[in-house]
Amino acid sequence: MSTSHEHAHGDSKKAYYRVYGALLALTALTVGAAQIHFPHSMGQLGVLINLAIGLIIATVKVSLVLYIFMHLKFDNKFLRAFVLVPVFLFFVMVFALTNLETFHHPF
Amino acid sequence: MSLALDLRHEPVSGINHGKLVMWIFLASEIMFFSGFFGAFIVLRNANIDIFTESASELNVGLATLNTFFLISSSLTMALAIYNLERQNKTLFQTFLGVTILCAFGFLVVKFIEYSAKFEHHHYPSSNIFFAFYFLMTGFHGLHVIGGIIPMAWMFLKSFTKKGYTKAHRVEVLGLYWHFVDLVWIFLFPALYLLFPTLHP
Repeated sequence: MSTSHEHAHGDSKKAYYRVYGALLALTALTVGAAQIHFPHSMGQLGVLINLAIGLIIATVKVSLVLYIFMHLKFDNKFLRAFVLVPVFLFFVMVFALTNLETFHHPF
Repeated sequence: MSLALDLRHEPVSGINHGKLVMWIFLASEIMFFSGFFGAFIVLRNANIDIFTESASELNVGLATLNTFFLISSSLTMALAIYNLERQNKTLFQTFLGVTILCAFGFLVVKFIEYSAKFEHHHYPSSNIFFAFYFLMTGFHGLHVIGGIIPMAWMFLKSFTKKGYTKAHRVEVLGLYWHFVDLVWIFLFPALYLLFPTLHP
């Protein structure tokens, strides 16, 4: 039934190395993007763009680890739903708190 | 497959019990860290000046190095499981050994970072930012130590005559280890990077 899923994706080694490369590249990208300062004239929008870039990159990295390293892509639907619901709620919380609060606190 | 009940797997979903229990534990871990992140974001925005100033004293270089250690250890962990499933004993030992080394590397860098903070008289009691910094990285560090212990046990066991053959257990431990990596992927930008300021 599902016991043999480990062997169903024989080429997973290649996928691991590709994900590793992507994770390294995204780490460099997020460190680099954090150094960008948008012009003052953009005001709050520039700050929001900085935050959004950082959070989106983190989300992509997390998805790669969950789907490939943690095998969610190859696991059954039940487990995927079980994991993705709390993870999704976590993302909703982070994005909601970050963006709403930023608009209310000019800095 | 026969019709007999396979007790190693949950009958309805067909998921391996060890794996299912680890995922349930990880779901509770998501809740645990969500509390920290939720409080962190709200207090960050309420005290943005203190947070921005204190965060600028953190060492982004060392944190990037630590990110590299954890991401690499996630790769080697996945490769260790891959090789154990294929009975490549030496490669399994090599990759698990590298995973443990990376975990220790992470802790050494964390120790250097903490020492530098203490030297500059930054303690958890200094301000609300450092309270969060030490609390969140401290709990994450404990998770790293919690991962090293079973990894070291499996590593040492693999050198005995019987060897270590329980691939499903290493796979379950791997889930935990990747989760420790996931937490860091969020901690790194939250504490070190995401404090954009308006520049003239």
